[in-house]
Amino acid sequence: MHSDTAHETHEDHLDHGHIHPAPEGFIRKYVFSLDHKVIGFQYFFTGIFVLLIAGSFAELVRLQLTDPNGAIMSHTAYNEMFTMHGTAMVWMVLIPLVTGAIGNFVMPLQIGARDVAFPWLNMASFRIFPIAVATLFSSMLFGGPHAGWTEYPPISLADGTAGALWCMAIFIIGISSTMTGLNFMVTIMKMRAPGMTWTRMPLFVWATFATALMNMFATVALSVAVGALFLEHVFNVPWYDPARGGSPVLFQHMFWFYSHPAVYIFIIPAFGVVSEVLPVFARKPIFGYKMIAFSSMAIALLSFTVWMHHMFPAGIAPWLQLPFMILTYAIGVPTGIKIFSWMATLWAGRIYFTTAMLYAMGFLITFTFGGLTGIFLASVPVDLHEHGTYFVVGHFHYVVAGGAVMGFLASIPYWYPKATGRMLDERMGQIGFWLFFLGLNGTFGPMHWLGLEGMPRRYASYANFASQYPDAVFWNRFETACSFLMVASVGLLVFNIFWSMKNGKVAGINPWGARTLEWTISSPPPYYNFKKLPYVYGRPYDFDQPMPYQNTDLEIEAFPEYGKVVMPIPTAGAAAGAGAH
Amino acid sequence: MAAVGTQHLTGHDAVAARYRNVDPVYFETRDLRLTGFVLFLLSDCILFSSFIFAYVYLRNSAPAWPPFLNGTQLPWFDTSFAAVNSVVLFGSGVTMHFALENWKHLHRQKFFYWLIATIVLGLGFLGGQAHEWSGVFATVLTWSNSTMGASFFVLTGLHGLHVFIGTVFLTVLGIQAKNNVYTGSKYLGLTAGTLYWHFVDVIWVALFYLFYLL
Repeated sequence: MHSDTAHETHEDHLDHGHIHPAPEGFIRKYVFSLDHKVIGFQYFFTGIFVLLIAGSFAELVRLQLTDPNGAIMSHTAYNEMFTMHGTAMVWMVLIPLVTGAIGNFVMPLQIGARDVAFPWLNMASFRIFPIAVATLFSSMLFGGPHAGWTEYPPISLADGTAGALWCMAIFIIGISSTMTGLNFMVTIMKMRAPGMTWTRMPLFVWATFATALMNMFATVALSVAVGALFLEHVFNVPWYDPARGGSPVLFQHMFWFYSHPAVYIFIIPAFGVVSEVLPVFARKPIFGYKMIAFSSMAIALLSFTVWMHHMFPAGIAPWLQLPFMILTYAIGVPTGIKIFSWMATLWAGRIYFTTAMLYAMGFLITFTFGGLTGIFLASVPVDLHEHGTYFVVGHFHYVVAGGAVMGFLASIPYWYPKATGRMLDERMGQIGFWLFFLGLNGTFGPMHWLGLEGMPRRYASYANFASQYPDAVFWNRFETACSFLMVASVGLLVFNIFWSMKNGKVAGINPWGARTLEWTISSPPPYYNFKKLPYVYGRPYDFDQPMPYQNTDLEIEAFPEYGKVVMPIPTAGAAAGAGAH
Repeated sequence: MAAVGTQHLTGHDAVAARYRNVDPVYFETRDLRLTGFVLFLLSDCILFSSFIFAYVYLRNSAPAWPPFLNGTQLPWFDTSFAAVNSVVLFGSGVTMHFALENWKHLHRQKFFYWLIATIVLGLGFLGGQAHEWSGVFATVLTWSNSTMGASFFVLTGLHGLHVFIGTVFLTVLGIQAKNNVYTGSKYLGLTAGTLYWHFVDVIWVALFYLFYLL
């Protein structure tokens, strides 16, 4: 901090009375930006781009399954497709979208901050994300990884160079996640607007905090797991190869110690979005604010204690199975608290069926369903029976597509007006919702009964199974047909996003009548967010009260001397300022 | 001027606002950076914990420890040499503590003596590690011939990398101090460097116990 700006005191800034000039030009504004909102957009568009690729892989997988012997590709190519689909969707789509895009854009606005704690670190987190994407997809040039998104050794050890590149990609994106988590934790702990106590924070901020906690602490374990796998690929270091004293189960332990929290990393921000959307469009205070907030933290902490339920068939000791079964049941309790609180929020509300609200209510249905099948799978006897079947695939996709993605899709129409200044087209949005909702249930619903009949997951051909259960062919074709409804929905959404930037209705400051801090500033927000840091004296959910803020932009318009802003700006001086002091 | 916009603050916030008027830009960034640095150390702690978990897991599931290689059991580590080396590293923690205390008490020259002593001890530890790696083990044990070698070389190597980064860190801090970057009340970099150095020490306590004593 020995740049010229660092030695100015607060009074100097007040006396100078200037707003730093806004970043000029496309490159400075949208490519080399330190602004958390722009970095959020960068995450958003990169993530959507990878979503289209990984989604097309999923469609290839579905097309293959229209025929019991495999319709369109070799079995090796099929293995590669579902591996790349899973890997890209989990690490390069969901986590960057819900934390990087939505978290980056919304969280600092909601806590009344002008940026995250370390804008440079934030930019670095984003910069290495496309590198990870490129590394992951470059593995397909070397034959691609084949062992599923979990890349369990010893099978994955046969992947060679492709496996090593897979490890590198996950390691790089893990570093990005860890840095984002650290940044968000410090931001939320230290940079809330004056008066915003922990229990006055919007619930999305609570969710982001819980997510950041898991991002920071769990992701490192994953980095170690794939780092060791990388060493085994490249330098033949015997961590996981049972022939040389290593243990494949060790990889599963380290992998799931991260990857179970990972599913909460992408579901908890969706919880946060739903907690914001439901009270706004039911025009009612959120029910059980503290319970929703604390249950997010409870889920975050409990998520570190349940990883072994992914490994019941892997031969772990029976005395370990029982506690992990009980802990897995226990994590259903805070989740249930949330579901009931949301239902009680809707109770006797004045409900507006906007696109965001439709997605949030669809989330309540599909996520609850996915959560319930999760409770089935937590039970050791059921899990031993169902683990290798499509029941698990159906459960997982109900939680992820019906939970995390639905929550993410609810956030797009909800914050789109704030991000662009225009409304997302409602008609297209609602058609998109119904396509997605029907497509999701049609695709993943039948997987449950196929799984109960015993259809094995990850098989390129199911001719044996189909000869026992002839209905399997019909249901697989039905699922494939329904999956294209989701494709249509995503296509419509992408079109809508670009179409509405030009043609949407002008939004104004607060189109929804919402009460969190981001709705007190102009849309889109200026790069410094708040002219003066607002003072917060209440929760943002009391719809019968005046807004609980002082010093909002509207209030201080009459006092130009308040319009003074200190911001980090992307110059060499700011770079020097990043040093220690 | 200082009171603008702070009249409504009470309790902790009011104290913080008054405190920040000393030099708010510095104290706010210090607050953020120190929190961020401590969180970074915690995540680094998970890094070591995960590898330690892997080591303990592999050791527990091995039929014999040290494991057999081509029919002969691998030798045990040279505990006495490592103990001497550990004393060198722990001693550097003590000297670093004295360095920071001297800086706080404005004994500038003593600060530099203790800091240089710390760096020398750190480099001494690294030299001891290199000696241990090359002399005793490279002939028998490699990181690719057994799980013992894998866990030993990766964990101590990772720790050695941390010590090396630490010595570079402390050297940079020394140069910065020489160039008057820090004052008697503003020495966040020195605090961070000290925290990092103690962290590396504490990790070695665990590694020493797990590899040499257990």
